[in-house]
Amino acid sequence: MKSRIGTLLVAVLLVSLLASACATPAPPPEATTPPEATTPPEATTPPEPPPPAEISIVIADGGEPSTLDPQYADDGFERNVNDNIYEMLLHRDSGTMEIVPGLATDYEQVDDTTWRFTLREGVQFHNGEPFNAEAVVFSVERIIDPEYNSEQITFVETVTGAEAVDEYTVDIFTTGPDPQLTSRMTWMKIVPPIYTEENPDEFLVAPVGTGPYKFVEWARGDHITLEANADYWGAAPSIGRVTYRPIEEDATRLAALQAGEAQLVTNLIPEYLAQVSNSVSGHGLEFPWIRINTNVDPLTDVRVRQALNYAIDKEALAEALYGGYAAVAEGQILTPGHFGYNPSVAAYPYDPQMAMDLLEEAGAAGATLELVGESGRWLKDKELVEAVAAQLEAVGLNIDVNIAEWSDWLDLLFAGAEAAPQLQYSSHDNVMMDADRTLSGQFTTGGSQAAYGNPQVDQLVEDARTETDVAAREAMYHEAVQIIYDEAACIFLLNLDNIYGLGENLQWSPRIDGRILVKDMTLVE
Amino acid sequence: MSRRGPRGPALHYWKGVIRITAYLIRRLLQSILVIVGVSVVVFVITRAIGDPARMMMPLEATDEQVEAFAQRMGFRDPLPVQFWNWAKDALRGDFGDSLWQRTPAMELVLERMPASLLLCFTAITLALLASIPLGILAALRPRSWLDKLTTSISLIGVCIPDFWLGLMLMLLFAVSIHLFFTSGYGTPRHLVLPAVTLAARPWGRITQIVRTSMMDEMHKAYMVTARAKGLTEQKVIISHALKNASIPIVTLAAWELTRMLAGYTIVVETVFAWPGFGQLALQAIERRDLTLIQADVFLVALIVVAMNISIDFIYAALDPRVRLA
Repeated sequence: MKSRIGTLLVAVLLVSLLASACATPAPPPEATTPPEATTPPEATTPPEPPPPAEISIVIADGGEPSTLDPQYADDGFERNVNDNIYEMLLHRDSGTMEIVPGLATDYEQVDDTTWRFTLREGVQFHNGEPFNAEAVVFSVERIIDPEYNSEQITFVETVTGAEAVDEYTVDIFTTGPDPQLTSRMTWMKIVPPIYTEENPDEFLVAPVGTGPYKFVEWARGDHITLEANADYWGAAPSIGRVTYRPIEEDATRLAALQAGEAQLVTNLIPEYLAQVSNSVSGHGLEFPWIRINTNVDPLTDVRVRQALNYAIDKEALAEALYGGYAAVAEGQILTPGHFGYNPSVAAYPYDPQMAMDLLEEAGAAGATLELVGESGRWLKDKELVEAVAAQLEAVGLNIDVNIAEWSDWLDLLFAGAEAAPQLQYSSHDNVMMDADRTLSGQFTTGGSQAAYGNPQVDQLVEDARTETDVAAREAMYHEAVQIIYDEAACIFLLNLDNIYGLGENLQWSPRIDGRILVKDMTLVE
Repeated sequence: MSRRGPRGPALHYWKGVIRITAYLIRRLLQSILVIVGVSVVVFVITRAIGDPARMMMPLEATDEQVEAFAQRMGFRDPLPVQFWNWAKDALRGDFGDSLWQRTPAMELVLERMPASLLLCFTAITLALLASIPLGILAALRPRSWLDKLTTSISLIGVCIPDFWLGLMLMLLFAVSIHLFFTSGYGTPRHLVLPAVTLAARPWGRITQIVRTSMMDEMHKAYMVTARAKGLTEQKVIISHALKNASIPIVTLAAWELTRMLAGYTIVVETVFAWPGFGQLALQAIERRDLTLIQADVFLVALIVVAMNISIDFIYAALDPRVRLA
């Protein structure tokens, strides 16, 4: 009897466990996808037939979005999906990165702190809500609301509010003259006011935008599916359906591409390229660099800092570590696509003799320097730090390499100029495409990651922030970049490429800003 | 049947019920201790490795933003206060929102549970189905080529690194021939490769234990009796020897299953992009999502405790000499 009760209990336990395991062969999405949110009202006769859903692709990305709220997190995985669902007032041309009309057809600066945007008429959100000035005002007020506490706030930090002038005209206000406002408007995504207000929870998992693709479902941990928006105001996309799959493991992403399960994989590591028949790459935004604490000896001497730059064989690093999929940073942490890039500055050439002479002159030959790195956050970060250390030792310096734990590395990065280690590896990307973000964060006195300060640079960066004359502003950045270069304020290293693996039939060119726009892709026979 | 007296069965029945109830209460109390202990340890560790606010905020965030976030999250309160606040809500079933996905953390973990349970139970079933016959065959013919082969390949099964095995299987069966999928979830064709990969180690270990336990039993006196009774060899092996050898086999299988559920799936789920709670735990750790880590570990602790209690019952069912006391 006792053993029968035991058996029964065990059976119940096991069956319930097994039942919970077997009862759900279907992916979990059903539970998370609110039925209402996924079925926007039926469109009245689409202007042209949408591309058939059979024309579909799978994009394997390295991770899953945090949420699909386009205004909250600073999250690349979220952007990779939402860049296709949501749109901004202004866009950037996929080739040139120039600012082009988006949801706004035109804009003008009314006075120092007011910009007036003329909106595109007849655009609807995927749920049928109209796109108008009210939607823009709502989106602006939402992202700058201190209560909301958006991680993206630095992208719109000068914006103080917005006001509808009429149905299709809206004014956006800034704290002072802000020449970057148009760049900021290529960042801020426009959300539908009614849906966002009324369904705050659904909004996180079932996005509704105006873009070329609309949301279908999100099975957490497994996939997100979008389909072409038949009512899209712009050129109709040729791919009907796109599925995003988070595959964290690099080797598995490669295998998924080789097996034909994915047609586009992100962040392919250079070693794998030989195994991929169709890949594309282009300059990305990521700049690994070595911060120099210019407040401590012997690094206060500009000759020592220049010597550090002459000592590094940038080409060799690009070739050996990144298989050639990296460009030498041209003496600045900006790409030619960034506003403020100075085309007349070029990288310090590799000249170990010059480095040794300069060190000798400065009396720093054989000095010992600490170099702090970290491991695993960025592609080949640790390897890069070790290679840089070896090259510095080759010109007679002693380098103490300290590969720090992530949290320690962070503490050191933000320790302020006094406590900063002599040399610290970091990696910078500036999605705003404007020099301000890079220069003010890394190279002005008191910048959040700065360990260098020069009153002249401080002044130029501050003035440029409010200079509305485009040419004058560009000239200021050119000058600041030149000074930072002359003073060798850091060790300039590389600009990494974005590398994507493509399926045999997929045609696409990557963008400098790293946005993955499915509407730019075509499948060929 | 012979025990049936006037009050016999009823009395006996109630005695059993009381004994098992007492047992369950005791185990429950022990389980609560275990779960509280695990929660405290995880709570302290996740907050001791650095400023959680700085680690969670983007690199470009200013000091004021980090401080505001820390205040909002309560990271500046003393640890015991933080833990008490967490435990108070957890008792009501509120484990807090995931900082990463901004959804109730326990909901996220429970959503992933079916995938992990399916994977682990399939793996242990595969391991048992493949190891028991092989172990028996090897035990029946000690030192034969089959026995030697079994011993070597089961050793390989135990030692082979799972990420390597997983990638090799993937290259063979998903990339070279499109029999299964490299990754993902939803159909049996998605399940095969991760389940086989996860099964390799328990398969190897169980094969070894089946072989040795069966060898022990085969030499015992009752086997001679059983054969002398005229039972078929099949019946002697299955009903007598295997039944008596089953306790160590069950112990090991349950241990292996617990190991899988308690974290051994992390590697396999990550390699195959399988949306289970192992993969979720890794993502939570990478993103320093403290609430999600806490909820994930809590659920895993609960599963492990439930597994241990089930195992006790299985012992009692298998061996009448085992009493739940």
